[in-house]
Amino acid sequence: MELIKSQRPQPTKDPRLWVITSGKGGVGKTFIASSLALTISKLGHSVVLVDLDLSGANVHTALGLEPSHLSIRNFYEGQKTLQEIVIPTPYPHLSYVQGFWDSWDSSSASADIVAKLLPELRHLKADFVLVDLGAGASESHLCLMDNADERFLVTTPEPTSIEKAYRFIEGLMCYKLKLDSQPDAYNSFIKKLREYRQKIVDRPFSIRKYIRESDGLRIDHFESLSTHPVRLIMNCSRSQTHADLGYSMRSVCNKYYDVSLDYLGAIEYDNAVWQSVRNMAPFLVSQPFTPLAGQFLGICKQLIDPEELRAVV
Amino acid sequence: MTEMIVEGSRINYYEILELGTSAAQHEITKAYDRARRTYDGDNPEIYTIFSEKEARDLLKLIEEAYSVLGNKTLRTIYDQRLLGKSSEGLDLSYDSILTASRQNFPEPKAKFDKVSYRIDEGLEAEIQTRTEWMGSDLKKIREYKNLSIEKMSEKTKVNVFYLAAVEADDRMKLPAPVFVRGYVIQIAKALGLNEKTVADSYMKAFKANAG
Repeated sequence: MELIKSQRPQPTKDPRLWVITSGKGGVGKTFIASSLALTISKLGHSVVLVDLDLSGANVHTALGLEPSHLSIRNFYEGQKTLQEIVIPTPYPHLSYVQGFWDSWDSSSASADIVAKLLPELRHLKADFVLVDLGAGASESHLCLMDNADERFLVTTPEPTSIEKAYRFIEGLMCYKLKLDSQPDAYNSFIKKLREYRQKIVDRPFSIRKYIRESDGLRIDHFESLSTHPVRLIMNCSRSQTHADLGYSMRSVCNKYYDVSLDYLGAIEYDNAVWQSVRNMAPFLVSQPFTPLAGQFLGICKQLIDPEELRAVV
Repeated sequence: MTEMIVEGSRINYYEILELGTSAAQHEITKAYDRARRTYDGDNPEIYTIFSEKEARDLLKLIEEAYSVLGNKTLRTIYDQRLLGKSSEGLDLSYDSILTASRQNFPEPKAKFDKVSYRIDEGLEAEIQTRTEWMGSDLKKIREYKNLSIEKMSEKTKVNVFYLAAVEADDRMKLPAPVFVRGYVIQIAKALGLNEKTVADSYMKAFKANAG
């Protein structure tokens, strides 16, 4: 009896941690994060949206709210716990944590903040905690991503954005491999990767094979990127060709890095989004019955309750 | 890259198209379309990663993979070799799959060139020179060539009842002339006769009788 009890999955009180980031800035990360948060809250789950874009927080703007006097700064300086700076919003089930929106020297603080935040993020009172991260593959971002339940990489169809998305994947791969690996083995790996990029290694070259065959690198860390892949979202898609770029990126990751990428789908470009930010009203609230809202609903259901989605189809 | 497959079969066609081995046919086609679009031409999503030559090589592999997986016969052979119990060391190269498919499913042989009757020089000469054809002539040639009326029906896809009527010149049992002409042409073909000569003369007599 005791044994059966312990095998049963514990009712998890801890929230699921979703992290949203991008390789390049300005691709609509905050829009995606706030829309995902609104969609999940509409599905009846409680959500806390945490603004960690230290280069200039603006989740409150995307949600159409005035900046509050409470922000992550209060937490970082030790005046409040994270739970105490969660700010309610007019939207049911949705609250948020405001980032620094006053001037701040972000580069020196980000790694500290993430280390301090991680345990508390896990204990916020909510079903979901969504973190809107800044752009780029900095160490602190990668650390947070590595600890998240789901990681979202936002890109647009522009070549610059796509290129930076690949660099991000590469960064995450290196970060993963660096954990628990022998420094020498890791350095040789980086050297090999550089040669691979410069196309001076003997072909065919497989990263997976290289890692498996070299001592001091953890293949399980590498494989976890495929068993638990990064979720790709193609924002600002203006055509089917744009939407299909996601599949191409998935294929390139597979063939070049030996790493899986899960393409969640495209979010259509819509002028009304820009308008609604201007009007300080979240798009999904001001215009809830657009194809765009449907695309977000599809993505959230797919991740939260795939069974239900299948039943509808 | 093409050597990959030939050498150690480390990458199989399913991996090239990024599919599970249980993928349905329509999924294979979809994956192929996507892969071709990705590696065909200078796309923003590949140019920083693959050189032009690498993309071309990949495209070649993708075409090769699809020509096998997109073909039911070839895919069956490939699956047997790839997934079968004693799959170790089996040749998975494209050429070998193609060769195996030809062995398993030989090209259909020409059906009527086998001689299974005693050649009668006199009759052969008559076949060459004859210009007037009646039902009885057709019957004579059929029996000479050792073909039963059922066998003839199988070859021509014409009902035995009509074949008999054609041979007996029994126009009451036959349908409109346009169909009868079709039957006669099929019969002449099956017997290796000049179908135009036979049909023209047969139909001339057929219509004359009807008149």
